[in-house]
Amino acid sequence: MNSKADVMHGIRPAAKGAVFRDMIIIAAFFVALIPVLAMHRVTDFMIFCIFALSFDLLYGFMGRLSFGQVLYLGTGVYASTLFSLHVSTNPLLAMLAGVLGAAIVAAALGLIVVKLNEAPFALTNLAFNQIGFFLIGSTFQKITHGEDGISSGVEPWGFMDFSNKYFAFCFVLFFLLFTFYMLTRLTRSPFGIIIRSIKENELRVKFLGYDTFSYKWITFTISGALAGLAGTLYTLYVQFVSPTFIHPLNNVEPIFAVLIGGAGNLYGAIAGGVLFMVMRDSLSTHVPQWEWILGGLLLIIVFWLRQGLAGFVRILAGAVSNRLSLRRAAGGGSQ
Amino acid sequence: MADLLTTQRLTKNFEGLVAVNQVNFRIQEGQVTGLIGPNGSGKTTLFNLLSGLFTPTEGTVSFLGTDVTRVPPHKRVQMGMARTFQLVSVFDSLTVWENLVLSNIRFKTEQQSLRNFFFASSRRKDIADDCMSSLELVGLESRASSVTSELSYGDKRMLEIAIALSLRPSVLLLDEPLAGLSDHEIGEVVSLIYKVKKNFALGIIEHKISKIVELVDRLCVMNYGRIICEGVPGQVLCDPQVRECYWGKEDNKC
Ligand SMILES: Nc1ncnc2c1ncn2[C@@H]1O[C@H](COP(=O)(O)OP(=O)(O)OP(=O)(O)O)[C@@H](O)[C@H]1O
Ligand SMILES: [Mg+2]
Repeated sequence: MNSKADVMHGIRPAAKGAVFRDMIIIAAFFVALIPVLAMHRVTDFMIFCIFALSFDLLYGFMGRLSFGQVLYLGTGVYASTLFSLHVSTNPLLAMLAGVLGAAIVAAALGLIVVKLNEAPFALTNLAFNQIGFFLIGSTFQKITHGEDGISSGVEPWGFMDFSNKYFAFCFVLFFLLFTFYMLTRLTRSPFGIIIRSIKENELRVKFLGYDTFSYKWITFTISGALAGLAGTLYTLYVQFVSPTFIHPLNNVEPIFAVLIGGAGNLYGAIAGGVLFMVMRDSLSTHVPQWEWILGGLLLIIVFWLRQGLAGFVRILAGAVSNRLSLRRAAGGGSQ
Repeated sequence: MADLLTTQRLTKNFEGLVAVNQVNFRIQEGQVTGLIGPNGSGKTTLFNLLSGLFTPTEGTVSFLGTDVTRVPPHKRVQMGMARTFQLVSVFDSLTVWENLVLSNIRFKTEQQSLRNFFFASSRRKDIADDCMSSLELVGLESRASSVTSELSYGDKRMLEIAIALSLRPSVLLLDEPLAGLSDHEIGEVVSLIYKVKKNFALGIIEHKISKIVELVDRLCVMNYGRIICEGVPGQVLCDPQVRECYWGKEDNKC
Protein backbone atom coordinates (compact mmCIF):
# COMPACT_ATOMS: atom_id res chain seq x y z
CA MET A 1 0.00 0.00 0.00
CA ASN A 2 2.70 2.46 0.97
CA SER A 3 5.14 1.53 -1.72
CA LYS A 4 7.71 4.11 -2.64
CA ALA A 5 5.87 4.87 -5.87
CA ASP A 6 2.67 5.58 -3.95
CA VAL A 7 4.42 7.91 -1.57
CA MET A 8 6.16 9.77 -4.38
CA HIS A 9 2.90 10.05 -6.25
CA GLY A 10 1.16 11.76 -3.38
CA ILE A 11 3.85 14.35 -2.84
CA ARG A 12 3.23 17.87 -3.92
CA PRO A 13 4.25 19.91 -5.88
CA ALA A 14 2.31 18.51 -8.77
CA ALA A 15 3.61 17.77 -12.22
CA LYS A 16 5.73 20.17 -14.24
CA GLY A 17 3.00 20.78 -16.82
CA ALA A 18 0.92 22.49 -14.15
CA VAL A 19 3.14 25.60 -14.21
CA PHE A 20 2.58 26.06 -17.93
CA ARG A 21 -1.11 25.44 -17.58
CA ASP A 22 -1.24 28.17 -14.94
CA MET A 23 0.72 30.53 -17.16
CA ILE A 24 -1.80 30.04 -19.94
CA ILE A 25 -4.64 30.73 -17.52
CA ILE A 26 -2.97 33.93 -16.33
CA ALA A 27 -2.36 35.09 -19.90
CA ALA A 28 -5.98 34.34 -20.81
CA PHE A 29 -7.16 36.22 -17.74
CA PHE A 30 -5.34 39.40 -18.72
CA VAL A 31 -6.41 39.16 -22.35
CA ALA A 32 -9.98 38.76 -21.14
CA LEU A 33 -9.61 41.91 -19.06
CA ILE A 34 -8.81 44.04 -22.13
CA PRO A 35 -12.42 44.59 -23.28
CA VAL A 36 -13.46 45.38 -19.70
CA LEU A 37 -10.67 47.75 -18.71
CA ALA A 38 -8.97 49.02 -21.86
CA MET A 39 -5.59 47.71 -22.91
CA HIS A 40 -3.37 50.45 -21.54
CA ARG A 41 -4.72 49.95 -18.05
CA VAL A 42 -4.33 46.19 -18.20
CA THR A 43 -0.68 46.71 -19.18
CA ASP A 44 -0.27 49.07 -16.28
CA PHE A 45 -1.87 46.56 -13.91
CA MET A 46 0.40 43.77 -15.09
CA ILE A 47 3.47 45.84 -14.24
CA PHE A 48 2.03 46.41 -10.80
CA CYS A 49 1.44 42.66 -10.50
CA ILE A 50 5.15 42.02 -11.10
CA PHE A 51 5.87 44.46 -8.31
CA ALA A 52 3.35 42.71 -6.06
CA LEU A 53 4.98 39.35 -6.85
CA SER A 54 8.37 40.71 -5.82
CA PHE A 55 6.87 41.80 -2.53
CA ASP A 56 5.12 38.47 -2.05
CA LEU A 57 8.44 36.64 -2.26
CA LEU A 58 9.77 38.70 0.61
CA TYR A 59 6.65 38.96 2.74
CA GLY A 60 4.45 36.05 1.76
CA PHE A 61 7.10 33.40 1.46
CA MET A 62 9.89 34.55 3.77
CA GLY A 63 7.67 36.38 6.25
CA ARG A 64 9.58 39.66 6.21
CA LEU A 65 7.26 42.65 6.01
CA SER A 66 9.05 45.59 4.41
CA PHE A 67 7.84 49.18 4.29
CA GLY A 68 10.49 50.01 1.71
CA GLN A 69 9.94 47.86 -1.36
CA VAL A 70 9.16 50.97 -3.42
CA LEU A 71 12.83 51.94 -3.13
CA TYR A 72 13.74 49.11 -5.49
CA LEU A 73 10.92 49.90 -7.87
CA GLY A 74 12.14 53.48 -7.95
CA THR A 75 15.76 52.44 -8.38
CA GLY A 76 14.73 50.38 -11.39
CA VAL A 77 12.80 53.34 -12.77
CA TYR A 78 15.58 55.89 -12.34
CA ALA A 79 18.51 53.63 -13.20
CA SER A 80 16.92 52.66 -16.52
CA THR A 81 15.82 56.22 -17.29
CA LEU A 82 19.22 57.74 -16.58
CA PHE A 83 20.92 54.94 -18.47
CA SER A 84 18.74 55.61 -21.51
CA LEU A 85 19.58 59.33 -21.37
CA HIS A 86 23.29 59.06 -20.81
CA VAL A 87 24.48 55.70 -22.11
CA SER A 88 22.25 53.97 -24.62
CA THR A 89 18.72 54.35 -25.89
CA ASN A 90 18.33 50.62 -26.38
CA PRO A 91 15.28 49.47 -24.36
CA LEU A 92 16.71 46.08 -23.44
CA LEU A 93 19.99 47.56 -22.22
CA ALA A 94 18.05 50.14 -20.21
CA MET A 95 16.08 47.32 -18.60
CA LEU A 96 19.26 45.46 -17.80
CA ALA A 97 20.70 48.59 -16.19
CA GLY A 98 17.56 49.12 -14.12
CA VAL A 99 17.38 45.54 -12.88
CA LEU A 100 21.09 45.47 -12.08
CA GLY A 101 20.86 48.82 -10.32
CA ALA A 102 18.00 47.63 -8.13
CA ALA A 103 19.75 44.33 -7.44
CA ILE A 104 22.96 46.09 -6.42
CA VAL A 105 21.16 48.48 -4.07
CA ALA A 106 19.16 45.60 -2.59
CA ALA A 107 22.29 43.48 -2.16
CA ALA A 108 24.13 46.32 -0.43
CA LEU A 109 21.31 47.39 1.89
CA GLY A 110 20.31 43.75 2.38
CA LEU A 111 23.56 43.18 4.23
CA ILE A 112 22.19 45.48 6.91
CA VAL A 113 18.43 45.01 6.94
CA VAL A 114 18.37 41.24 6.64
CA LYS A 115 19.92 40.98 10.09
CA LEU A 116 16.77 42.56 11.50
CA ASN A 117 13.30 41.15 12.01
CA GLU A 118 9.76 42.40 12.35
CA ALA A 119 9.33 46.10 13.20
CA PRO A 120 13.04 47.02 12.95
CA PHE A 121 13.18 45.31 9.55
CA ALA A 122 10.08 47.09 8.29
CA LEU A 123 11.15 50.50 9.59
CA THR A 124 14.78 50.31 8.48
CA ASN A 125 13.54 49.57 4.99
CA LEU A 126 11.23 52.56 5.26
CA ALA A 127 14.14 54.72 6.37
CA PHE A 128 16.25 53.67 3.38
CA ASN A 129 13.28 54.32 1.12
CA GLN A 130 12.98 57.81 2.57
CA ILE A 131 16.67 58.45 1.97
CA GLY A 132 16.35 57.21 -1.62
CA PHE A 133 13.38 59.51 -2.13
CA PHE A 134 15.35 62.53 -0.94
CA LEU A 135 18.38 61.63 -3.02
CA ILE A 136 16.24 61.43 -6.15
CA GLY A 137 13.91 64.33 -5.32
CA SER A 138 16.40 66.86 -3.96
CA THR A 139 20.05 65.94 -3.66
CA PHE A 140 20.56 64.87 -7.26
CA GLN A 141 18.05 67.33 -8.65
CA LYS A 142 20.49 68.35 -11.40
CA ILE A 143 20.41 64.86 -12.87
CA THR A 144 16.87 63.81 -12.01
CA HIS A 145 15.09 67.17 -12.36
CA GLY A 146 13.57 66.53 -8.93
CA GLU A 147 9.82 66.97 -8.58
CA ASP A 148 9.51 68.09 -12.21
CA GLY A 149 10.26 64.60 -13.41
CA ILE A 150 12.18 63.53 -16.42
CA SER A 151 11.50 61.89 -19.80
CA SER A 152 13.23 58.63 -20.58
CA GLY A 153 15.55 58.49 -23.55
CA VAL A 154 14.49 55.02 -24.62
CA GLU A 155 13.84 54.79 -28.34
CA PRO A 156 12.10 52.12 -30.40
CA TRP A 157 14.49 49.36 -31.34
CA GLY A 158 13.55 47.08 -34.19
CA PHE A 159 10.00 45.92 -33.58
CA MET A 160 10.24 47.08 -29.99
CA ASP A 161 8.09 50.15 -30.00
CA PHE A 162 6.40 50.89 -26.71
CA SER A 163 4.06 53.46 -28.12
CA ASN A 164 2.42 50.51 -29.87
CA LYS A 165 -0.05 49.39 -27.22
CA TYR A 166 -0.28 45.84 -28.57
CA PHE A 167 3.45 45.41 -28.40
CA ALA A 168 3.62 46.95 -24.94
CA PHE A 169 0.90 44.61 -23.70
CA CYS A 170 2.65 41.50 -25.04
CA PHE A 171 6.04 42.61 -23.78
CA VAL A 172 4.79 43.24 -20.24
CA LEU A 173 2.73 40.05 -20.27
CA PHE A 174 5.85 38.13 -21.24
CA PHE A 175 7.74 39.50 -18.24
CA LEU A 176 4.81 38.87 -15.91
CA LEU A 177 4.71 35.23 -17.00
CA PHE A 178 8.48 35.03 -16.76
CA THR A 179 8.37 36.35 -13.19
CA PHE A 180 5.55 33.99 -12.31
CA TYR A 181 7.43 31.03 -13.76
CA MET A 182 10.69 31.84 -11.99
CA LEU A 183 8.98 32.37 -8.65
CA THR A 184 6.94 29.19 -8.99
CA ARG A 185 10.10 27.17 -9.57
CA LEU A 186 12.01 29.06 -6.91
CA THR A 187 9.42 28.71 -4.17
CA ARG A 188 9.00 24.97 -4.82
CA SER A 189 12.72 24.26 -4.95
CA PRO A 190 14.82 23.27 -1.93
CA PHE A 191 15.70 26.95 -1.65
CA GLY A 192 11.99 27.77 -1.47
CA ILE A 193 11.51 25.28 1.33
CA ILE A 194 14.31 26.96 3.23
CA ILE A 195 12.82 30.44 2.94
CA ARG A 196 9.36 29.20 3.88
CA SER A 197 10.81 27.51 6.93
CA ILE A 198 12.62 30.74 7.83
CA LYS A 199 9.21 32.38 7.84
CA GLU A 200 7.91 29.86 10.34
CA ASN A 201 10.89 29.59 12.70
CA GLU A 202 14.25 31.00 11.71
CA LEU A 203 16.05 29.80 14.82
CA ARG A 204 15.00 26.23 14.15
CA VAL A 205 16.42 26.48 10.63
CA LYS A 206 19.78 27.37 12.12
CA PHE A 207 19.62 24.16 14.12
CA LEU A 208 19.46 22.29 10.82
CA GLY A 209 22.86 23.71 9.95
CA TYR A 210 21.81 26.57 7.69
CA ASP A 211 23.36 29.99 7.82
CA THR A 212 20.00 31.72 7.47
CA PHE A 213 21.61 35.10 6.84
CA SER A 214 22.75 34.17 3.33
CA TYR A 215 19.38 32.73 2.34
CA LYS A 216 17.60 35.83 3.58
CA TRP A 217 20.09 38.04 1.79
CA ILE A 218 19.71 36.17 -1.52
CA THR A 219 15.92 36.36 -1.24
CA PHE A 220 16.03 40.06 -0.44
CA THR A 221 18.26 40.70 -3.44
CA ILE A 222 16.06 38.67 -5.82
CA SER A 223 13.00 40.48 -4.48
CA GLY A 224 14.68 43.85 -5.04
CA ALA A 225 15.75 42.88 -8.56
CA LEU A 226 12.19 41.87 -9.46
CA ALA A 227 10.83 45.13 -8.07
CA GLY A 228 13.46 46.82 -10.23
CA LEU A 229 12.20 44.85 -13.23
CA ALA A 230 8.72 46.27 -12.65
CA GLY A 231 10.34 49.71 -12.42
CA THR A 232 12.12 49.37 -15.76
CA LEU A 233 8.84 48.36 -17.39
CA TYR A 234 7.28 51.57 -16.07
CA THR A 235 10.17 53.49 -17.61
CA LEU A 236 9.62 51.87 -20.99
CA TYR A 237 5.88 52.10 -20.85
CA VAL A 238 5.18 55.44 -19.19
CA GLN A 239 8.29 57.15 -20.63
CA PHE A 240 8.09 59.93 -18.12
CA VAL A 241 9.19 59.38 -14.56
CA SER A 242 8.94 61.44 -11.40
CA PRO A 243 9.76 60.90 -7.70
CA THR A 244 6.25 59.48 -7.11
CA PHE A 245 7.75 56.23 -8.38
CA ILE A 246 10.01 56.13 -5.36
CA HIS A 247 7.71 57.77 -2.81
CA PRO A 248 7.71 55.89 0.52
CA LEU A 249 3.96 56.40 0.94
CA ASN A 250 3.38 54.07 -1.99
CA ASN A 251 4.59 51.16 0.10
CA VAL A 252 1.04 50.54 1.21
CA GLU A 253 0.19 49.48 -2.35
CA PRO A 254 2.09 46.19 -2.60
CA ILE A 255 1.20 45.44 1.02
CA PHE A 256 -2.50 45.88 0.29
CA ALA A 257 -2.31 43.94 -2.94
CA VAL A 258 -0.63 40.95 -1.33
CA LEU A 259 -2.90 41.00 1.72
CA ILE A 260 -5.99 41.17 -0.47
CA GLY A 261 -4.80 38.32 -2.63
CA GLY A 262 -3.35 36.17 0.15
CA ALA A 263 0.28 36.29 1.20
CA GLY A 264 2.49 33.42 0.16
CA ASN A 265 0.43 32.57 -2.88
CA LEU A 266 1.59 33.67 -6.33
CA TYR A 267 -1.91 33.64 -7.85
CA GLY A 268 -3.05 35.61 -4.84
CA ALA A 269 -0.44 38.30 -5.51
CA ILE A 270 -1.61 38.62 -9.12
CA ALA A 271 -5.31 38.60 -8.26
CA GLY A 272 -4.71 41.00 -5.39
CA GLY A 273 -2.64 43.26 -7.64
CA VAL A 274 -5.43 43.50 -10.20
CA LEU A 275 -8.16 43.91 -7.61
CA PHE A 276 -6.24 46.62 -5.81
CA MET A 277 -5.60 48.55 -9.03
CA VAL A 278 -9.23 48.23 -10.13
CA MET A 279 -10.39 49.54 -6.77
CA ARG A 280 -7.87 52.34 -6.79
CA ASP A 281 -8.85 53.38 -10.30
CA SER A 282 -12.60 53.02 -10.20
CA LEU A 283 -13.27 53.89 -6.60
CA SER A 284 -11.09 56.96 -6.71
CA THR A 285 -13.06 58.33 -9.65
CA HIS A 286 -16.50 57.56 -8.20
CA VAL A 287 -16.03 57.80 -4.46
CA PRO A 288 -14.36 60.73 -2.77
CA GLN A 289 -11.85 59.60 -0.16
CA TRP A 290 -11.92 56.02 -1.33
CA GLU A 291 -9.17 55.18 1.16
CA TRP A 292 -11.96 54.67 3.70
CA ILE A 293 -13.13 51.67 1.76
CA LEU A 294 -9.59 50.36 1.45
CA GLY A 295 -9.12 50.70 5.20
CA GLY A 296 -12.39 48.86 5.86
CA LEU A 297 -11.36 46.10 3.51
CA LEU A 298 -8.05 45.74 5.30
CA LEU A 299 -9.89 45.35 8.60
CA ILE A 300 -12.05 42.61 7.11
CA ILE A 301 -8.96 40.82 5.85
CA VAL A 302 -7.08 41.10 9.12
CA PHE A 303 -10.02 39.90 11.20
CA TRP A 304 -11.76 37.35 8.99
CA LEU A 305 -9.73 36.56 5.91
CA ARG A 306 -6.17 36.11 7.02
CA GLN A 307 -5.38 34.16 3.86
CA GLY A 308 -6.86 36.84 1.62
CA LEU A 309 -8.65 36.02 -1.60
CA ALA A 310 -6.69 32.80 -2.05
CA GLY A 311 -7.78 31.53 1.35
CA PHE A 312 -11.35 32.60 0.67
CA VAL A 313 -11.40 30.65 -2.58
CA ARG A 314 -9.99 27.61 -0.78
CA ILE A 315 -12.67 27.79 1.91
CA LEU A 316 -15.34 28.25 -0.74
CA ALA A 317 -14.04 25.32 -2.78
CA GLY A 318 -13.97 23.20 0.36
CA ALA A 319 -17.56 24.09 1.18
CA VAL A 320 -18.74 23.38 -2.35
CA SER A 321 -17.03 20.02 -2.56
CA ASN A 322 -18.42 19.14 0.87
CA ARG A 323 -21.91 19.98 -0.34
CA LEU A 324 -21.43 17.93 -3.47
CA SER A 325 -20.15 14.90 -1.62
CA LEU A 326 -22.98 15.24 0.90
CA ARG A 327 -25.50 15.34 -1.89
CA ARG A 328 -23.85 12.37 -3.57
CA ALA A 329 -23.92 10.49 -0.29
CA ALA A 330 -27.58 11.37 0.20
CA GLY A 331 -28.37 10.31 -3.37
CA GLY A 332 -26.56 7.04 -2.83
CA GLY A 333 -28.57 6.39 0.33
CA SER A 334 -31.93 6.83 -1.39
CA GLN A 335 -31.20 4.27 -4.06
CA MET B 1 37.23 6.31 24.90
CA ALA B 2 37.52 9.76 23.41
CA ASP B 3 35.53 12.70 24.67
CA LEU B 4 33.47 14.16 21.82
CA LEU B 5 31.74 16.95 23.66
CA THR B 6 32.97 18.44 26.91
CA THR B 7 32.37 21.51 29.03
CA GLN B 8 34.78 23.19 31.39
CA ARG B 9 33.35 25.04 34.38
CA LEU B 10 30.35 26.03 32.32
CA THR B 11 28.12 28.65 33.94
CA LYS B 12 24.95 30.45 32.86
CA ASN B 13 23.40 33.30 34.85
CA PHE B 14 19.90 34.60 34.23
CA GLU B 15 19.79 37.92 36.04
CA GLY B 16 20.94 36.52 39.35
CA LEU B 17 19.61 33.00 38.86
CA VAL B 18 22.48 30.60 38.27
CA ALA B 19 20.79 28.05 36.00
CA VAL B 20 24.02 26.18 35.23
CA ASN B 21 26.80 26.39 37.76
CA GLN B 22 30.44 25.39 37.12
CA VAL B 23 29.47 22.28 35.20
CA ASN B 24 32.03 19.84 33.78
CA PHE B 25 30.02 17.60 31.52
CA ARG B 26 31.15 15.19 28.86
CA ILE B 27 29.74 12.95 26.19
CA GLN B 28 32.03 10.13 25.12
CA GLU B 29 32.32 8.32 21.83
CA GLY B 30 30.09 5.29 21.47
CA GLN B 31 28.19 5.99 24.68
CA VAL B 32 24.73 7.00 25.72
CA THR B 33 24.93 9.67 28.41
CA GLY B 34 21.77 10.25 30.41
CA LEU B 35 21.01 13.51 32.21
CA ILE B 36 18.37 13.61 34.90
CA GLY B 37 17.38 16.01 37.64
CA PRO B 38 14.34 17.73 39.17
CA ASN B 39 12.37 20.42 37.31
CA GLY B 40 14.31 23.62 36.87
CA SER B 41 17.64 22.06 37.73
CA GLY B 42 19.24 23.37 34.53
CA LYS B 43 19.24 20.38 32.18
CA THR B 44 17.70 22.14 29.19
CA THR B 45 19.86 25.19 29.81
CA LEU B 46 22.94 22.95 29.68
CA PHE B 47 21.81 21.54 26.32
CA ASN B 48 21.12 25.07 25.09
CA LEU B 49 24.69 25.99 25.97
CA LEU B 50 26.06 22.88 24.28
CA SER B 51 24.15 23.54 21.07
CA GLY B 52 24.85 27.26 20.97
CA LEU B 53 21.38 28.64 21.64
CA PHE B 54 22.84 30.46 24.66
CA THR B 55 26.34 31.76 25.18
CA PRO B 56 27.70 30.91 28.61
CA THR B 57 28.40 33.52 31.25
CA GLU B 58 31.60 31.68 32.06
CA GLY B 59 33.42 28.52 31.03
CA THR B 60 33.88 26.79 27.68
CA VAL B 61 32.37 24.14 25.44
CA SER B 62 34.64 21.89 23.34
CA PHE B 63 33.41 19.76 20.49
CA LEU B 64 35.64 17.28 18.65
CA GLY B 65 38.68 18.86 20.26
CA THR B 66 37.91 22.46 19.25
CA ASP B 67 36.64 25.25 21.44
CA VAL B 68 33.15 26.06 20.13
CA THR B 69 32.06 28.40 22.91
CA ARG B 70 31.60 31.30 20.45
CA VAL B 71 30.64 29.22 17.42
CA PRO B 72 27.09 29.89 16.18
CA PRO B 73 24.52 27.05 16.22
CA HIS B 74 24.50 26.36 12.49
CA LYS B 75 28.26 25.80 12.44
CA ARG B 76 28.01 23.37 15.33
CA VAL B 77 25.37 21.46 13.38
CA GLN B 78 27.66 21.41 10.36
CA MET B 79 30.40 20.00 12.59
CA GLY B 80 28.09 17.17 13.55
CA MET B 81 26.02 18.18 16.56
CA ALA B 82 22.26 17.74 16.25
CA ARG B 83 19.53 18.23 18.80
CA THR B 84 15.81 18.02 19.43
CA PHE B 85 13.76 20.26 21.70
CA GLN B 86 11.83 19.63 24.88
CA LEU B 87 8.68 20.90 23.17
CA VAL B 88 8.68 19.25 19.75
CA SER B 89 9.91 21.67 17.13
CA VAL B 90 9.20 20.84 13.50
CA PHE B 91 7.86 23.03 10.69
CA ASP B 92 4.10 22.89 11.02
CA SER B 93 3.41 24.83 7.86
CA LEU B 94 5.46 22.50 5.65
CA THR B 95 4.53 18.99 4.64
CA VAL B 96 6.26 16.05 6.32
CA TRP B 97 8.14 15.49 3.09
CA GLU B 98 9.32 19.10 2.91
CA ASN B 99 10.55 18.88 6.49
CA LEU B 100 12.76 16.01 5.45
CA VAL B 101 13.89 17.68 2.23
CA LEU B 102 14.94 20.63 4.37
CA SER B 103 17.19 18.53 6.58
CA ASN B 104 18.50 16.22 3.87
CA ILE B 105 19.24 18.74 1.14
CA ARG B 106 22.18 20.37 2.87
CA PHE B 107 24.31 17.35 2.11
CA LYS B 108 23.50 17.59 -1.56
CA THR B 109 24.27 21.25 -2.01
CA GLU B 110 28.02 20.83 -1.99
CA GLN B 111 28.08 18.62 -5.06
CA GLN B 112 25.16 20.07 -6.91
CA SER B 113 25.09 23.14 -9.04
CA LEU B 114 23.39 26.32 -7.93
CA ARG B 115 20.82 25.83 -10.65
CA ASN B 116 19.68 22.60 -9.07
CA PHE B 117 19.45 24.16 -5.67
CA PHE B 118 17.28 27.03 -6.81
CA PHE B 119 15.16 25.24 -9.37
CA ALA B 120 15.25 21.53 -8.64
CA SER B 121 12.02 19.90 -7.70
CA SER B 122 12.01 18.50 -4.20
CA ARG B 123 11.00 15.19 -5.80
CA ARG B 124 14.32 14.78 -7.61
CA LYS B 125 15.68 11.29 -7.27
CA ASP B 126 18.79 11.77 -5.14
CA ILE B 127 16.91 14.00 -2.69
CA ALA B 128 13.92 11.70 -2.74
CA ASP B 129 15.95 8.61 -1.87
CA ASP B 130 17.33 10.19 1.29
CA CYS B 131 13.94 11.48 2.36
CA MET B 132 12.37 8.13 1.65
CA SER B 133 14.78 6.29 3.91
CA SER B 134 14.16 8.88 6.65
CA LEU B 135 10.44 8.26 6.29
CA GLU B 136 10.85 4.50 6.42
CA LEU B 137 13.01 4.71 9.50
CA VAL B 138 10.22 6.34 11.50
CA GLY B 139 7.32 4.69 9.70
CA LEU B 140 5.68 7.87 8.44
CA GLU B 141 5.46 6.89 4.76
CA SER B 142 1.70 7.26 4.66
CA ARG B 143 1.93 10.80 6.03
CA ALA B 144 4.53 12.06 3.56
CA SER B 145 2.27 14.61 1.90
CA SER B 146 0.36 15.63 5.03
CA VAL B 147 0.83 19.11 6.38
CA THR B 148 2.85 18.62 9.54
CA SER B 149 0.39 20.52 11.74
CA GLU B 150 -2.05 17.63 11.21
CA LEU B 151 0.29 15.09 12.83
CA SER B 152 -0.19 13.80 16.37
CA TYR B 153 2.34 14.90 18.95
CA GLY B 154 3.93 11.47 18.90
CA ASP B 155 4.30 11.48 15.12
CA LYS B 156 5.80 14.96 15.28
CA ARG B 157 8.32 13.66 17.80
CA MET B 158 9.22 10.81 15.46
CA LEU B 159 9.57 13.30 12.61
CA GLU B 160 11.75 15.57 14.71
CA ILE B 161 14.05 12.66 15.51
CA ALA B 162 14.13 11.65 11.84
CA ILE B 163 15.14 15.20 10.96
CA ALA B 164 17.91 15.17 13.56
CA LEU B 165 19.16 11.81 12.30
CA SER B 166 19.23 13.00 8.71
CA LEU B 167 21.72 15.67 9.78
CA ARG B 168 24.14 12.74 10.23
CA PRO B 169 25.36 13.83 13.64
CA SER B 170 28.33 12.49 15.55
CA VAL B 171 26.67 13.73 18.73
CA LEU B 172 22.90 13.81 19.12
CA LEU B 173 21.23 15.63 22.02
CA LEU B 174 17.65 14.62 22.86
CA ASP B 175 15.76 16.80 25.34
CA GLU B 176 13.01 14.71 26.97
CA PRO B 177 12.07 12.78 23.81
CA LEU B 178 9.44 10.75 25.69
CA ALA B 179 7.62 13.62 27.40
CA GLY B 180 3.97 13.89 26.46
CA LEU B 181 3.83 10.56 24.61
CA SER B 182 1.53 7.60 25.20
CA ASP B 183 3.02 4.30 26.38
CA HIS B 184 2.74 2.89 22.89
CA GLU B 185 4.54 5.90 21.40
CA ILE B 186 7.20 5.72 24.08
CA GLY B 187 7.85 2.13 23.02
CA GLU B 188 8.28 3.23 19.41
CA VAL B 189 10.68 6.05 20.21
CA VAL B 190 12.76 3.87 22.53
CA SER B 191 13.10 1.11 19.96
CA LEU B 192 14.02 3.69 17.32
CA ILE B 193 16.78 4.97 19.60
CA TYR B 194 18.05 1.41 20.10
CA LYS B 195 18.08 0.90 16.36
CA VAL B 196 20.22 3.94 15.53
CA LYS B 197 22.30 4.61 18.63
CA LYS B 198 25.41 2.83 17.35
CA ASN B 199 25.89 5.55 14.75
CA PHE B 200 26.68 8.38 17.15
CA ALA B 201 27.19 9.39 20.75
CA LEU B 202 23.91 10.24 22.41
CA GLY B 203 23.05 12.67 25.17
CA ILE B 204 19.55 12.28 26.53
CA ILE B 205 17.56 14.24 29.12
CA GLU B 206 14.66 12.24 30.51
CA HIS B 207 12.37 12.28 33.51
CA LYS B 208 11.07 8.78 32.88
CA ILE B 209 14.20 7.14 34.25
CA SER B 210 12.81 3.62 34.13
CA LYS B 211 12.35 3.89 30.36
CA ILE B 212 15.95 4.76 29.65
CA VAL B 213 17.92 3.12 32.41
CA GLU B 214 18.64 0.11 30.19
CA LEU B 215 19.74 2.37 27.36
CA VAL B 216 22.13 4.57 29.25
CA ASP B 217 25.84 3.83 29.76
CA ARG B 218 26.57 6.80 31.98
CA LEU B 219 24.14 8.83 34.03
CA CYS B 220 24.57 12.39 35.32
CA VAL B 221 22.29 14.00 37.87
CA MET B 222 21.77 17.75 38.06
CA ASN B 223 20.36 19.73 40.94
CA TYR B 224 20.33 23.52 41.34
CA GLY B 225 22.53 23.94 38.29
CA ARG B 226 25.27 21.56 39.44
CA ILE B 227 26.07 18.00 38.52
CA ILE B 228 25.79 16.27 41.87
CA CYS B 229 26.53 12.73 40.82
CA GLU B 230 27.67 10.79 37.76
CA GLY B 231 28.60 7.22 36.88
CA VAL B 232 27.02 3.91 35.95
CA PRO B 233 23.22 4.13 36.28
CA GLY B 234 22.92 1.38 38.90
CA GLN B 235 25.34 3.16 41.19
CA VAL B 236 24.07 6.67 40.59
CA LEU B 237 20.46 5.78 41.31
CA CYS B 238 21.51 4.34 44.67
CA ASP B 239 23.47 7.42 45.70
CA PRO B 240 21.81 8.86 48.82
CA GLN B 241 22.15 12.45 47.62
CA VAL B 242 20.40 11.58 44.35
CA ARG B 243 17.68 9.65 46.12
CA GLU B 244 17.03 12.60 48.36
CA CYS B 245 16.68 15.21 45.65
CA TYR B 246 14.67 12.92 43.42
CA TRP B 247 12.43 10.88 45.65
CA GLY B 248 12.63 12.69 48.96
CA LYS B 249 13.69 10.76 52.04
CA GLU B 250 11.96 7.46 51.30
CA ASP B 251 14.31 4.52 50.78
CA ASN B 252 13.55 1.37 48.93
CA LYS B 253 15.53 -1.00 46.70
CA CYS B 254 19.30 -0.58 46.88
N1 LIG C 1 15.79 32.00 28.83
C1 LIG C 1 15.69 32.01 30.18
N2 LIG C 1 15.59 33.18 30.85
C2 LIG C 1 15.50 33.20 32.21
N3 LIG C 1 15.50 32.11 32.97
C3 LIG C 1 15.60 30.91 32.37
C4 LIG C 1 15.70 30.79 30.94
N4 LIG C 1 15.76 29.49 30.62
C5 LIG C 1 15.73 28.82 31.79
N5 LIG C 1 15.62 29.66 32.84
C6 LIG C 1 15.58 29.27 34.23
O1 LIG C 1 16.69 28.45 34.49
C7 LIG C 1 16.33 27.39 35.36
C8 LIG C 1 16.68 26.07 34.72
O2 LIG C 1 15.78 25.83 33.68
P1 LIG C 1 15.88 24.59 32.70
O3 LIG C 1 14.87 24.77 31.66
O4 LIG C 1 17.28 24.41 32.28
O5 LIG C 1 15.45 23.39 33.69
P2 LIG C 1 15.25 21.87 33.35
O6 LIG C 1 16.18 21.12 34.21
O7 LIG C 1 15.32 21.62 31.91
O8 LIG C 1 13.77 21.66 33.88
P3 LIG C 1 12.59 20.76 33.27
O9 LIG C 1 12.80 19.38 33.79
O10 LIG C 1 11.35 21.38 33.83
O11 LIG C 1 12.65 20.83 31.80
C9 LIG C 1 14.85 27.54 35.67
O12 LIG C 1 14.72 28.18 36.91
C10 LIG C 1 14.36 28.43 34.55
O13 LIG C 1 13.29 29.23 35.00
MG1 LIG D 1 14.06 21.00 30.43
